[in-house]
Amino acid sequence: MKTIRLIILLLVVAAVAGVVVWWKSSPEADRVTMRDAKAIDIRPMVRLCSVEIYEDYPVKASIGTRHFFARETLRGSISFDLDSIARDSRDDTLVVTLPREIVEIHESTEPDSYEVIDTWNDRFLGSDKFTAAEENEIKRKAVANYRRRIYAKGYVKRARAEARQNLQALLAATTGHPVIVIDPTPAGALP
Amino acid sequence: MKSLRNLTLLIAASLLCLTAACRRDDDSSRVFLAEVRSVDKLVLAQMTISKMATIDDLRLEDADGLKQAVEALGDAVKIGSRKGAYSYDTYMQAYIDMSAFSENDVDIDRESRTISMTLPPVQTELAGRDPGIREDHYRVTGLRSDIDSKERAEIKEKMNTALRAEIDRNPAFRDRLMEQARAKARAYFQSLGEAEGYTVTVDFKN
Repeated sequence: MKTIRLIILLLVVAAVAGVVVWWKSSPEADRVTMRDAKAIDIRPMVRLCSVEIYEDYPVKASIGTRHFFARETLRGSISFDLDSIARDSRDDTLVVTLPREIVEIHESTEPDSYEVIDTWNDRFLGSDKFTAAEENEIKRKAVANYRRRIYAKGYVKRARAEARQNLQALLAATTGHPVIVIDPTPAGALP
Repeated sequence: MKSLRNLTLLIAASLLCLTAACRRDDDSSRVFLAEVRSVDKLVLAQMTISKMATIDDLRLEDADGLKQAVEALGDAVKIGSRKGAYSYDTYMQAYIDMSAFSENDVDIDRESRTISMTLPPVQTELAGRDPGIREDHYRVTGLRSDIDSKERAEIKEKMNTALRAEIDRNPAFRDRLMEQARAKARAYFQSLGEAEGYTVTVDFKN
């Protein structure tokens, strides 16, 4: 009787262990199916980029009694379109005007660049859900705020000063002429 | 009686191991960061790459392994459908690091009116992605739960991981972009020289 009990015990243990191993070795359930990436556009350009910014930015918003809080890593770049640069020659000197800055702000592609931390509703049992359209609008406003912050913090001013030096060095080296770079708006111009 | 107690203990221990194996890693050490850096990049081409993912119930016939089979069974008994399709664009750019370029890389012959320059190598990098996500399809019916903000963020993260792996695996993305960038650099510096009456030849360092 004791032997039978021991055999049953061993069989049960073996069965449980088997299930555990089977569970652990089986792939995770994933309801998301990836489609192949597609290159939809290539845009040639000549842009001199002088400053890059990476920043974790809090995204906070409220719609009625619903509230949203997330963290987003933004990647900003400040560059200048050299294709549209105004050039002039004075004797042997090349005179160019630094164009308007292009401030591009994207979400970073580094891992964990966007995390929704909390959504809630002030009303008891009220929905805390946000649609994709609502969330996109919240993020669009966050990016617009961040753009203003880039100007306010003086990043554009710094980018223009550095672009002026870099452009002067680039054109002097490639044309062999002395170069003067004029900056009509050293602090930039927020659109 | 003792055997029964041992058996109970063993099953409980096994379940505990199973629970531990299923627990997700919780990264609580994340910090907010800010970095502003000076660069001297000449960006010559930008590629827009679109990535799409769909979310749908698991089907029992497609299930691979015990976990998926259990989840697929769970999905099968739920009332209603839960389907969605999401996409967004990522930007990859080709650039030259001009901080590695100096006057020594340019040879100007004023007599023959020619300029030869050797530019630093063209490099590529991901310049970021759209902050928003396109909801191309959404159909949640019956008693199924909505696809919420947290789930969309998780889908976007998975799409990002898959996209980065795809770009690493398939050099065609980078090759096409670098080809366009080299052509643009040649055209730009040639037009710059032509304006001064010079013929310009452009090469790239390896």
